[in-house]
Amino acid sequence: MKKLTFSSLLFIIYMNGSAQHQETDSTKHIEAVTVSGKGKKRMETDMKMSVSVDEFLASSESISFIKRGAYAWEPLLNNMGMERANLTIDGMHVFGACTDKMDPITSYVESNNLAAVDISSGQSGNMHGATVGGSIDLRRRSTSFAERATWSGAYQAGMEFNNKQLYNLGNVSFANQRFVFDGSASFRKAGNYSDGLGNVVNHSQYNKFNSAVGMAYKTGRLSSVRVDAIFDRAKDVGFPALPMDLWLSRALITSAAYKQLFEGGVVKAWDSKIYYNAVEHYMDDTTRPENLVHMDMPGWSTTYGLLSNLQLQRGRYSAELQLNMYENLSIAEMRMYPQDRSNQTMFAYSWPWVTTRYGGLSLNNNWALSDKSQVNLGGSLGLHNNHAKYVEFNWIFHPDAPQERTRVLPSIHASYQLQLKNIHLSAGTGYGQRAPSVSEGYGYYIYNSFDRYDYIGNPNLANEVSYELNGSVGYRKEKFGIDVKANYFHIDQYIIGRILSLGSPMNYQSVGVKGYTSLDYATLFNLSLKGDYHLSHNLHWDGLLTYARGQDERGGNLPFIRPLSYQTALHYSRKNLGIQTSLNGDLAQVHFSPEFGEDRTAAYNIWNISADYRFVFKPCTATIQVGVENIGNEYYSTYADWGNIPRMGRNIFTSLKVAF
Amino acid sequence: MLVLGLLIASCTKDKTDYEAERDDSVVEHVDFKEAATIDSNGYSIRIEALNGTFYKGYNPIRLKVTGGGANGNANVSAATFLPIKLSSTGSETSCPHQHHLSYQPEDAYFSGYCVFTEATTNAGVWELQISFAIDGKMITARQAISVQPQTNKNLNMTTFTGSDNEQYIIALIAPQKPTVSENELLAGIYKFNKASEPTDNPLAAAYVPVTGYTLQLDPRMPEPSMGNHSSPNNKDLVQDAAGHYRGVVNYTMTGNWTLNFIMQNNNGQIVKGTVVPDDFTPGVMGVKSELHIDILF
Repeated sequence: MKKLTFSSLLFIIYMNGSAQHQETDSTKHIEAVTVSGKGKKRMETDMKMSVSVDEFLASSESISFIKRGAYAWEPLLNNMGMERANLTIDGMHVFGACTDKMDPITSYVESNNLAAVDISSGQSGNMHGATVGGSIDLRRRSTSFAERATWSGAYQAGMEFNNKQLYNLGNVSFANQRFVFDGSASFRKAGNYSDGLGNVVNHSQYNKFNSAVGMAYKTGRLSSVRVDAIFDRAKDVGFPALPMDLWLSRALITSAAYKQLFEGGVVKAWDSKIYYNAVEHYMDDTTRPENLVHMDMPGWSTTYGLLSNLQLQRGRYSAELQLNMYENLSIAEMRMYPQDRSNQTMFAYSWPWVTTRYGGLSLNNNWALSDKSQVNLGGSLGLHNNHAKYVEFNWIFHPDAPQERTRVLPSIHASYQLQLKNIHLSAGTGYGQRAPSVSEGYGYYIYNSFDRYDYIGNPNLANEVSYELNGSVGYRKEKFGIDVKANYFHIDQYIIGRILSLGSPMNYQSVGVKGYTSLDYATLFNLSLKGDYHLSHNLHWDGLLTYARGQDERGGNLPFIRPLSYQTALHYSRKNLGIQTSLNGDLAQVHFSPEFGEDRTAAYNIWNISADYRFVFKPCTATIQVGVENIGNEYYSTYADWGNIPRMGRNIFTSLKVAF
Repeated sequence: MLVLGLLIASCTKDKTDYEAERDDSVVEHVDFKEAATIDSNGYSIRIEALNGTFYKGYNPIRLKVTGGGANGNANVSAATFLPIKLSSTGSETSCPHQHHLSYQPEDAYFSGYCVFTEATTNAGVWELQISFAIDGKMITARQAISVQPQTNKNLNMTTFTGSDNEQYIIALIAPQKPTVSENELLAGIYKFNKASEPTDNPLAAAYVPVTGYTLQLDPRMPEPSMGNHSSPNNKDLVQDAAGHYRGVVNYTMTGNWTLNFIMQNNNGQIVKGTVVPDDFTPGVMGVKSELHIDILF
């Protein structure tokens, strides 16, 4: 987990560009490593001005995206989808309300209410619950108590010319000895974007409002309470790759936490939180007159939860123990309208009121064997329970399925890290299980517009069992650093949709019915190579190469595996001026999965450039930035773009940020 | 913040009340109520049907005799039931029914069924003729009744002539109120008994239940929006011990469905029905078998 916190720091710094000096970069690394050995510390680092959460995540080497349009990209961690990863906000489980995964929880936050993102790969991500691929924890901004009453804040405004996106982001914080307030609000509105040939991609607009408030009160010298709420509303969001758009989605994410620190003794901190969140998501196809069938597809997802975390430390040993409990109710409906509207409508549940309850205990231990080496050993044990209120829907395909099912989800992981003079080595292994997601277990005729099949869940699916190996080697000398990371997953009972000989499609665009089934096993291999070099005091180069391969038990390709991709960037900074240019792209996708509706995606190469300048007029700092993405106006789509929808063509962006 | 939270915690659109919506679209009758009473020779014959109404199609029937020392029906025997349809020209026909009613000792009533082939119209009225024996004497009574159209399409029926030139009736018996799920489908199949020898009472044997047939089932949603959608895991209807035809139909969503049938006789020959295409054809009204019954829930 440590090295990934470290890497997320790295990309924050990368996004920050010239705002940071290189010397501080390396100091930050070391800080982060030592700090995360003891536990976690809030990062006060700010992100680059104009990024969305999606763009921010995209700069991590372990994350790729499935894109259905310009908005709400579905993150893939280690080339695995959301159901294989734990996506949490400050450790809270939030589940999207869209059966088509159009509202990953990353779409319900905004960059100006986040402080950082913790990415943990594989079983080391089990702190917040059972996982296979790892965890992505979005950490909200939370200002510390201050000696003197202080106000701070920032305002950002900007425009992207390609899709006429306008945004206004503002946040303000107040802190004194006993009280902290954080608040933020943001508005983004974007029109349709144009592809590299200058054609407008219809239904790619979006409109998002996000606000967050947090208040903390110091109840004692070493204790505090904190309440937080996020309200997010997206309206009129187009999904060009889908036959329908989003009319409205809303999320309310709330929590109340109590934190107690301890002096002396083994227990260092106890942090407990109760939370509630409600997500609603309403699709709309009235904007698509070409659709033959009008249908409503509302979805609701409500989660209550509790987490309690203890941090222990004694000498060179530190540990973290966390209790996670949550209950989620997922409901999704579909109502199809007959062509003669006087006839009765047709109704079914695509999520038949599925309740998921989870309770689990996670433990992570860290021993610093010496100044140079340390061992991590952790595990978790969870109980996972599903109950479908209208299980008779599922019985149509699986007549013997029980209405309620409880699963035990064990997980264990171990790793060893060694830091020699210039070389950093790590090796780890893990074992873990996950339960099928609501869609995989109980989904009912969920239309997937990528392969154009209706998907049927199977309540009888066995747990996915993952065996994992990972390792990394790094070399760093003053001006030069290189890091190689690899992981390998062997996943038994890998869950995937396979064509059913039963039934016939329900959604009119669909070509058939697929059922979620378990493969005997599948394997996934991820490799990344990262390097950086300080050419001079002002000029800094970094590069990244990633490769992944996913195969089923017969050697066939798994879908949504990123082809060989690269990214290389040069950063120049002098005084208050920063200039960055980057080149990124994928090679052709040769290992595609036709069975899953994939075709060969051609290689592409995108060149971007941006410049920023910082003015200081006390107490404010203003930064303006101008840049161009996709300078060559390349017409391309990536391996994970649904329906091969072309990506955005040349885009000029400008932004202004004022911080105090 | 709490107030704000409560304000926005309420949902924008209400969830569908699935159970209430099903109740609205189909009314299920489970209680037997008095549908007709015939007073004859000091006895009162009470005929009960679901909801106290005779409907076109399949009706389960209960009969109770009171008065005149008929103590709890125990000493009533050999009750018969005969529905008679009088046309405007005065001719008499009947319909599929159980002529000799079965006695249910625990609840002390006689049970049977009747498949009214038409609702009462100006051109045709229905009468019931009931006979029973009590204390060594035979009592027969006859009275006009009213048969209402069946509004629940799940109890529809169809009348047709097979390739063997016989007249058949298929009447749905259950489920009255299907759900989106696996439903046990129950139907009665009856044949016009044209070979019946002249007897005292030719009407009583006008129709006989057919035995050993098979009703192949292919349920589909005919609505153009649904593109000839079908469901998996259905089972053809075969005769059970009670003489009914029993199978399984899966309804994948609410709405209009067509039960497409192919009826095979006990030699496996097709008596009626055609194979429907299984292509997915969005925007086109689904093709129906020449033997089918439409339902709706």
